[in-house]
Amino acid sequence: MSFIKTFSGIFISYLLLSGSVNAASSLKIENTWSPEAPPVAKVMAGYMKIYNLSNKDIKILSVKSSLFKKIEIHLTEMSNGMMRMIKQEHLNIKANGHIELKPGGLHMMLMGKLKPVKSGSVIPLTLSFDNGETVKVNLKVKNDSKPQMKCGAGKCGSM
Amino acid sequence: MQADMSSKKTIKNLVLPISIGILSLIIGLWLSQQMLINNNDNKIPKDLDATVLPNARPLAGFNLVEQNGQVFSPEQLKGHWSFLFFGFTNCPDVCPTTLKVMQSVWKTLPTKAGDVGHPKLYFVSVDPDRDKPETLKQYVQYFHSEFNGVTGKLDEIDKLTNQIGILYGYDEKDGDNDLEYIVNHSAQLILVDPKGRMRAVISPPHVAKTIAANFQTIRLFYGDE
Repeated sequence: MSFIKTFSGIFISYLLLSGSVNAASSLKIENTWSPEAPPVAKVMAGYMKIYNLSNKDIKILSVKSSLFKKIEIHLTEMSNGMMRMIKQEHLNIKANGHIELKPGGLHMMLMGKLKPVKSGSVIPLTLSFDNGETVKVNLKVKNDSKPQMKCGAGKCGSM
Repeated sequence: MQADMSSKKTIKNLVLPISIGILSLIIGLWLSQQMLINNNDNKIPKDLDATVLPNARPLAGFNLVEQNGQVFSPEQLKGHWSFLFFGFTNCPDVCPTTLKVMQSVWKTLPTKAGDVGHPKLYFVSVDPDRDKPETLKQYVQYFHSEFNGVTGKLDEIDKLTNQIGILYGYDEKDGDNDLEYIVNHSAQLILVDPKGRMRAVISPPHVAKTIAANFQTIRLFYGDE
């Protein structure tokens, strides 16, 4: 029995070290961040890159956080000279594709802030997908609005 | 021989008038150049990433409220350059991103508050139901202590936005929660000259370096008067 105990111990530490208890195999989420907002603001934005590693399209069903009342995914779009927020219901991520949520484009709108959120802290999110997987991520709250992108030789990365 | 002598004499007699002519031409050109420099009002500077109005448009007839509860009317736009940006504080993406950009612009300004040519920024909320002056003050001053929040009654806001060509509208305002709705709005920055006239429109995407450079070009071209 001690063998099983040791084994499950190793397995649990592996899960903890890998950073995600939900071992979602079809999805990878990176660059999760949120620009720090004025304390008086009731809304914040969430940005990230979501990769679909599977051979089937996956849709986002919902996003939830204990720090906000409601979360929606919106697309900032310029139309007729106005910046419009187009709500994205069940946003699709193509098989073996990815989507990028970034300033001025797709973003999560975190509405109804319940507690103060400061730079350096994190906003926990739970994303549910239509393939049955749920993924928990933390948005790093940062003081800079735009991450500086360094691009070259066809590769881009955060500086 | 006789003819040759007289033609030489004619040339000699012409030297003075010709030199006077050339001199006056040079002076004339120089003067008109000076006139151009001093009267750029109906001209536009070159190489800009902004739409400059050849005829600056006076702004008039609006009565709004600024963040300290004081009147914000056309008078408050006189005596300094102003940037106007229209939005709302429940705006997650465009407004904070633009105010961050303007924070960077402010860092690069060669002038300080109180200096001639130092601009002001007014963030005009088109969502007065949710944005009270004190909320706006806290919101804009998070980005820069010099920034100002402005709002007012919707019909007064319209008096300003209609003159400028700024559009806005609400989505889902009839939803189940009357405090959760989206405001769509134009994201242009409007540059107002020290006479309180709309001088230029800067369209998104907003880039701090470009805005800062364009502003200095426009400012130097038209002067701070």
